Amino acid sequence: MATITGAQGGAKIGSQIGRSLPRLEARDKVSGRAEYTHNLRLPGMLYGKIFRSTIAHGRIKSIDTSAAKKIPGVFRVVTAEDIRTVIPHPYYGPAFHDQPILAIDKVRFVGEPVAVVLASDPHVAEQAVQEIVAEYEELPAIYDEIEAMTSKVFVHDELKPAGAFADLKHLTGRKNTNIALDFKLRRGDVEKGFAESAHVFEHTFHTQKVLHLAFEPFVSIADAKPSAVTIYTSSQGPSFVRVEIARLLGLPENRVRIRVPYVGGGYGSKLYIKLEALVTALSLLSRRPVKISLTMEEQFYQITKHPCTFRIKSGLDKDGRIIARKCEVYWNGGAYADVGPRVTQKSGFTASGPYDIEHVHVDSYALYTNVTPSGALRGFGIPQLVWSYESHTDMIARALKIDPVAFRKKNILRKGQKHATGTPVNDAPLEAILDRIAARLNWGKPFERGNGAVKRGRGLAIAIKAVIAPTTSVAILNVTADGSPILYCGTVDMGQGSDTAMAQIVGEVLNVPAESVRVVPRDTDITPYDMGTLGSRSLFHMGHAVRMAAEEARAKIAALAREVGEPEGSNVPVAELFKKKYGMQAGNIVGSGTYKPDYIAPQPGTGLTTNVAPFWMVAGAGAEIEVDTETGKVSVTRLINVVDCGRPINPKIVETQISGAALMQFGFTMFEKMHIDGGQVTNASLADYKIPGILDVPAVMENETIDSIQTNGPFGAKGVGETATFCVAPAIANAIDDAVGVRLTELPLNAEAVYRAIRAQQNKPLEDE
Amino acid sequence: MTPFELLEPVSIKEALGLLDPDDPSIRPVGGGTALMLMMKAGVFRPTRLISLRRVGGRLSGIKAGRDGGLTIGAMTPLAALEHSADVARVAPVITRAMRRLSNVRVRNVATVGGAIAHGDPHMDLPPVLIALGASVTVISPTGERTIKVEDVLTGYYETALEKNELIAELTIPAQGARRSAYIKFTAGSFEDWPALGVAVSLEADGDTVRSATVVASAATAKAVRLTGAEGALKGARIDDKTLARAGDAGAQEAEVISDVRGSAPYKRELIRVHVGRAVRQALAQNGATH
Amino acid sequence: MSERTISFTLNGGPVSAEVASHHTILEVLRNDFALYGARESCGQGLCGCCTVLVNGAAVSGCLYLAAFADGAEVVTVEHLDANGELDPVQEAFIEQGAFQCGFCTPGFILMTTQLLDRHPDPDDDQIKHYLSGNLCRCAAYPEIIQAVKSAAKKRQASQK
Repeated sequence: MATITGAQGGAKIGSQIGRSLPRLEARDKVSGRAEYTHNLRLPGMLYGKIFRSTIAHGRIKSIDTSAAKKIPGVFRVVTAEDIRTVIPHPYYGPAFHDQPILAIDKVRFVGEPVAVVLASDPHVAEQAVQEIVAEYEELPAIYDEIEAMTSKVFVHDELKPAGAFADLKHLTGRKNTNIALDFKLRRGDVEKGFAESAHVFEHTFHTQKVLHLAFEPFVSIADAKPSAVTIYTSSQGPSFVRVEIARLLGLPENRVRIRVPYVGGGYGSKLYIKLEALVTALSLLSRRPVKISLTMEEQFYQITKHPCTFRIKSGLDKDGRIIARKCEVYWNGGAYADVGPRVTQKSGFTASGPYDIEHVHVDSYALYTNVTPSGALRGFGIPQLVWSYESHTDMIARALKIDPVAFRKKNILRKGQKHATGTPVNDAPLEAILDRIAARLNWGKPFERGNGAVKRGRGLAIAIKAVIAPTTSVAILNVTADGSPILYCGTVDMGQGSDTAMAQIVGEVLNVPAESVRVVPRDTDITPYDMGTLGSRSLFHMGHAVRMAAEEARAKIAALAREVGEPEGSNVPVAELFKKKYGMQAGNIVGSGTYKPDYIAPQPGTGLTTNVAPFWMVAGAGAEIEVDTETGKVSVTRLINVVDCGRPINPKIVETQISGAALMQFGFTMFEKMHIDGGQVTNASLADYKIPGILDVPAVMENETIDSIQTNGPFGAKGVGETATFCVAPAIANAIDDAVGVRLTELPLNAEAVYRAIRAQQNKPLEDE
Repeated sequence: MTPFELLEPVSIKEALGLLDPDDPSIRPVGGGTALMLMMKAGVFRPTRLISLRRVGGRLSGIKAGRDGGLTIGAMTPLAALEHSADVARVAPVITRAMRRLSNVRVRNVATVGGAIAHGDPHMDLPPVLIALGASVTVISPTGERTIKVEDVLTGYYETALEKNELIAELTIPAQGARRSAYIKFTAGSFEDWPALGVAVSLEADGDTVRSATVVASAATAKAVRLTGAEGALKGARIDDKTLARAGDAGAQEAEVISDVRGSAPYKRELIRVHVGRAVRQALAQNGATH
Repeated sequence: MSERTISFTLNGGPVSAEVASHHTILEVLRNDFALYGARESCGQGLCGCCTVLVNGAAVSGCLYLAAFADGAEVVTVEHLDANGELDPVQEAFIEQGAFQCGFCTPGFILMTTQLLDRHPDPDDDQIKHYLSGNLCRCAAYPEIIQAVKSAAKKRQASQK
């Protein structure tokens, strides 16, 4: 077979997988020249600034835009009425068509877009927004997910699931409820299990509202022309955006073009429709390109992580085996469903944790409330669940006086055993990860406990996630006449290094250096369908599609070689083959690949299936901490992350992903919190919503990928973007308990929370406000 | 931000002439880092800003006095304080505090005068200056006056400065044998604004305190002296009991406020702990750095 | 007089621009000079994405009025590889993989050049304190610290 050599130089087979190649776009990024939507300006472009609701729930009585319109330089002020002239049914959403482009009749959260000012000068637009006056008839509002279960306040009059999902159909038209989805998993008979148990433990955990806070804030530009609509957007899912905008406009997909350059951080926030529908409507109305760039403050009103309340109850036999577990999970979805119902279901699957339990009962509820909508955030609900079940695990172990590692080993899922869903766990080395964490922590050996006001402790946690399924990726590989390959794939490189990893896969198949592969920026006119860059799915799904495309191209090159008379196994450069065939430097070879894994939908009612996902993601974390008992301040002195990502395609990028994911979750664990008072976010800025900085990084961080192969993965690999987020919070909470004997059941584990717990334990509780 | 008139006078007199005692939309601006935040948030929309960056004269420079004190022009950037050998000699607590004061970029631009005149209780410099017994010289069209920094700050973003007054310079008196410390306690990330700042300056004979100044900030509406704590320390031997008494007094007298950085009861506990810790830190500055 | 003409040196060359009183240097760099390496993120001088050098000192471009740049020397990240070759700091950031999404990277790189001017051989503590005002939501901090150390070595080697 011919190999591609020449301009690219030769590369040994097997040389591209496992290379710690610097990112392909590294030079563009360090020189400040990488393209982001943030930087883009089009001729004649108008800037839109959003006027937002100041109340959490209410009927819109009037919107007075007259003063805003009078400000010199204002092009137009737009409300929902105007939007309806170009998009008659302006509701969008990935699971429910519940979110209006601009508020119609009602507002449902503080910060909801109500009107937009368009101007050539963004300062003018911003000034004019201040002149808009809206009058509302305030309605009672709900903020808490538990209250939302039974409240007589309803965020929506009627549920409007999108047509596409069979498992949401039963919700259509449901009224007088805030439950957007009720997912159930039933395995065995949980009540029987509890009846047979020697010990039963029940605990309730809570997680707070936090947000992604990407440094490139949400930004989209639409340029609507009669021939086609082009949208430039900082999005993780260009294919979804195209489908949804086409639906809203009643256009075929090929009249909508989505372009995504590099994305300045996503973490799950820039999925589905965010500003894209709004700028499209504004461009249609103004007949000009329109750009909306959110400020950092406005990001607090776009999308957040789900706050979650998790009631978990476990029954154990006298030997410490968990035989029954009941999980009630309440997801605070905010005012619009976004992808909340998917989080509710897909994470609900694994709410009972990485343990072998005979009787499992899961109820997972997506709830509407009057706060900023919640969506996907690096883990798709799993970090909230792991926080709860791994805290619960340690609490049980402590109560039964069983060593926490030994307790986990007694119950851990082992190879081939069936997970609660009924799907066997293969390629999920949970026990090996637990062993590595324990070994790194010197578990079982003496540990320095601190002195004076400072006490030390250590803790660990393990977790499992089923990747979202079933999803599809398509890739096209174009080998040009000089042999240089161009890859077209819709995976968005938002920092995770996907362009580089995909290029390595191409390089491996075609036996060329990965850096010789050009990965074109995402453009739905050019790059084929991909479900979305989310849930750590891309390396596996798109990786397979890219591999298949490259293999097809490789086969076609071999066929070309035969056609031009090269003997089998000849080493003639591809450029020569093209020249022989076409008489000059001309032609292309195009390979394509489409990948959709096998999947068996869960049975309605029980949620059971023998194939819930094509791969499992498993992780563990260990933490050593110090507590200043006089202030409650916790310092994490050592944070250990061990994950399984199969065979790392690019070990350096994998380590950065592990470390970055763990540090992001570290912020969510230690101090990040959106403070909400009467529906108002009171700390909507980077001054008051703090994220980890360089001085917050634990003194010692250890990141390890366990030696393993994902049998069905491309080159044995699978995704790792989220994995290291799972276990950080419970590992630290367990370490705090180890240090000072107090148990926190609510995030964040900030100094005041720890201090209050210490005081409560001393029977000297600190008074409230 | 909306357009405004930006003027850059070259003398104090000219600058004073551009101020208006009755128009709150006219303000002087030093480095502008704090004012810009208010303008960008739309909470301050100036009609006129008077930049003091070209004024020079007594508004600029750090001068070591023969008496061992310092005179610092109001337009001196915080970075100049940070790197000044004179400041490190006379008031090393300032040099140490600078390390965690905002960030390098802000310190390069923000000015000493601005840090005081802005009246933001979260700023690190005012409590330290109060502990050091510093005062400012303020100039108005009718003359000049000297005000102790603790008297400049009258409330949450409120100062004793008139709208046609400018801070010209800051005076830090000779510290003699006084030793000082500043503790910044952050509730969020390390580089958060403080939930509590405690500055202590004291004079001691061995382990007996002759006199002490104790200042709390950030947890309170303004940087404020904790005179009860000072009283508990004065003449007392430094031991755990004395520090606990001083901490209790401070916690009791401070009017703390709840916000996203912590509840008032918690911040009172922070004061209780940190008064003692700051005293110990001050004593640990055994004068060798002077 | 809210509009004025300012003249300054930008990346080594003399330039002038019509600016409004309420425009920041960041806006002028982007709108008048198509320099996008400095970029606004938090808008409060806390994240460091908008870092530019004015008269040799790092400032937050989002809080710095353009009018104040009149007569100044302004340097942006685009100047570092003006001769076609990457600066040692840029090389080190690439080699150490010290970024992910790259949005904050130019700010970190400019701050690192400043840090190394002041402390040619910084220890961890100096690195962390100097860079504490630059935030990276992808949290590539461990790699950034490695990159700063590597850049220090590269600089020293090139000066020998």
